Amino acid sequence: MTSKEKIQHEIEQTLQCLDGVKRAESNPFLFTRIQARMNKRSSRWEERTFSFISKPAIAIAIVVLVMAVNGWALWGGSGTSEVVTSELNGSELANEYNVVASINNYDYENMTNE
Amino acid sequence: MTNETELIEQLKQGDETAFKTIVEQWKDMVYNTILGIVQNETEAEDLAQDVFIKVFEKINTFKGDSKFSTWLYRIATTTALDHLRSKKRKKRFGFLQALGGDGDEKVSIPDFHHPGVSLDNKERAAVLFKAIDGLPENQKTAYTLHKLEGLSYRDVSEVLNTTVSAVESLMSRANQNLRKQLEEYYNKHYR
Repeated sequence: MTSKEKIQHEIEQTLQCLDGVKRAESNPFLFTRIQARMNKRSSRWEERTFSFISKPAIAIAIVVLVMAVNGWALWGGSGTSEVVTSELNGSELANEYNVVASINNYDYENMTNE
Repeated sequence: MTNETELIEQLKQGDETAFKTIVEQWKDMVYNTILGIVQNETEAEDLAQDVFIKVFEKINTFKGDSKFSTWLYRIATTTALDHLRSKKRKKRFGFLQALGGDGDEKVSIPDFHHPGVSLDNKERAAVLFKAIDGLPENQKTAYTLHKLEGLSYRDVSEVLNTTVSAVESLMSRANQNLRKQLEEYYNKHYR
């Protein structure tokens, strides 16, 4: 056999060496590892959100925003609430909130049949 | 088949038991495919985990137009090839850094020994795997699916979303390229 033939023989043998190869088996704990990674990912997302909110600049901005909304509710919207209350007198208010009805309901001793 | 459809429906509802069953049923198939492409056991295990996480997250995009196994093979091969691309990019960046004079360590690729190869073919298979590693992506994928997973050309064509004749042509070119590489190798070492 010449050296060229020998090389050709080697090549053929090498190309055939994967015939009948068995399937490689994965880690028996693959699912547990996947679960751990998925849990880690979700907790990392929570961590990231929390660390973002707790940044001083973001925290101050949120506080300022809440205060601004409160301020607007107190002063900006006070004109309309004044108009509503000025239109209501005492008895209307009582009727509005069923004050009389509630007193009568609990006044069992003085109940009269009307 | 019905069982498979039921499992997929349950997984779409977020059922963890169904997910576990799917992982247990297909983990070797996914791992073996990835291992054939990346040729590194640790990386293949990490990537197999990635594949199943993707399956859990993207199961609602699976419409059932193809077989579930075909869809799974597609995710596995794409994940493995993406990994190889990013590894190549990093290596190129590392090379540029080395040119800059930062370090002189050279990354050497160790011989890969597939655990499913018999002991008497071990050395030969390591030579072949090195040659497979030098193939273009689509030839490498087709060759791995056919030779390591034992898929027919029709099944390979479904995974690669191409025709059977295109797979035949890929396999023929892959064999030609492998012969060329092996010839070079044996000319160097067989003397």
